[in-house]
Amino acid sequence: MADLEPVVGRYLNLESGGRSYRIFYEEAGTGRPLICLHTAGADSRQFRHVLNDPEITDRFRVLAFDLPFHGRSNPPDGWWLEKYRLTTNVYLGLIRDFWRALGLERPVVMGCSMGGAIVLKVAADHQDEIAGIVGLESTAFAEGRDNDFLHHPAIHGGELAACYTYGLNGPDSPEEGCRENWWYYSQSGPGVYKGDVWYYCEDWDAREDIKRIDTDRCKVSLLTGEYDYSATPEMTRQAADSIPGCRFTVMRGIGHFPMVENYGLFRGYLLEELASMV
Amino acid sequence: MSAPPSPEWMERYRERVNADPEMQVIGDWFSLDFKLSFEGDSWLIPVRRGRIAEIVHRPRFDRPARFTVSAPMRVWNKFIRPDPEPLYHDFFAMLMRVPEFEIDGDSLAAMQNARALHRMMNILKTMEPLDGRS
Repeated sequence: MADLEPVVGRYLNLESGGRSYRIFYEEAGTGRPLICLHTAGADSRQFRHVLNDPEITDRFRVLAFDLPFHGRSNPPDGWWLEKYRLTTNVYLGLIRDFWRALGLERPVVMGCSMGGAIVLKVAADHQDEIAGIVGLESTAFAEGRDNDFLHHPAIHGGELAACYTYGLNGPDSPEEGCRENWWYYSQSGPGVYKGDVWYYCEDWDAREDIKRIDTDRCKVSLLTGEYDYSATPEMTRQAADSIPGCRFTVMRGIGHFPMVENYGLFRGYLLEELASMV
Repeated sequence: MSAPPSPEWMERYRERVNADPEMQVIGDWFSLDFKLSFEGDSWLIPVRRGRIAEIVHRPRFDRPARFTVSAPMRVWNKFIRPDPEPLYHDFFAMLMRVPEFEIDGDSLAAMQNARALHRMMNILKTMEPLDGRS
């Protein structure tokens, strides 16, 4: 008997912002849709433990898609004539068009890092279409991460991005989880991590947008790891303070990649927030 | 406050790096001389194919280094311990968030060897605390 996981991968041909994309996503479970957004320079494999957790998939249809340029989602046509830089508008449009194309009703949208940032904008702009957001390592504003070595002809960008982000794990997180995330990071295309970082630290600023979020219409849960030095607990707290009714928890012993670095510890925090969403 | 590393401590560090199985996998291209500076007390670390060839205390001007990793002792003491506090728990965390933790010199060479250098820093983190606390 083959030891098959319940996770299924599919491709979606998606129009968004006037461009055509071939989007790869994985899904498992039934119930309210739970859309999962990966971190910068990575892909949806980071959510494999969520996708394989029956306590979640018994109640949620979990869907994790790769952004264009990431994982198994191709860049759009003509990509070779443009410098890859993710923008807030393109990112927001892709997420919205993904749930609309699949006819997902009142999804919960969960994202980590840059995904944890954009979910704040999702909540601000689409609070009547979604049930809520779970922001992992969220900030409404972040600056100072970009550097030219992230895409440099004399440096292996995959190795540098993987090492650069490895320290974002909590020091006591299981090594296999941290190393798994290192591997994902080592595989992004040239300049992709840098292009995501550009969005995160140059284009992204939702400090005014989040004041529009009405938590009676759209629930907001923010979870940030104690050891996250990119989106620090204090940075998330500043966002939470602008959203009345928002739930905010600092996850002890965890870093920037809770769903992959230490799922065993993270799932307790996550289950509590997901219970608050339904 | 505490004293900088002793020669014996640095020798144990060299042994630990050279015995590390991961360094033997990833270190083939890591061959350069860099310095570790503990509140101005510096050690030259000549690395050859991922192994520390020797340890030189207070190298003279005829032993140049490609880059120097430096910090005051109070910063090193927060890093070299089994239960580091947030922001002091990793080499890259300190580069981003601790202004007194610096790389001077050819930082391109440092980042070209990020994987092996990071591993060496993570091994340094596991050494006996220099302030006697554990």
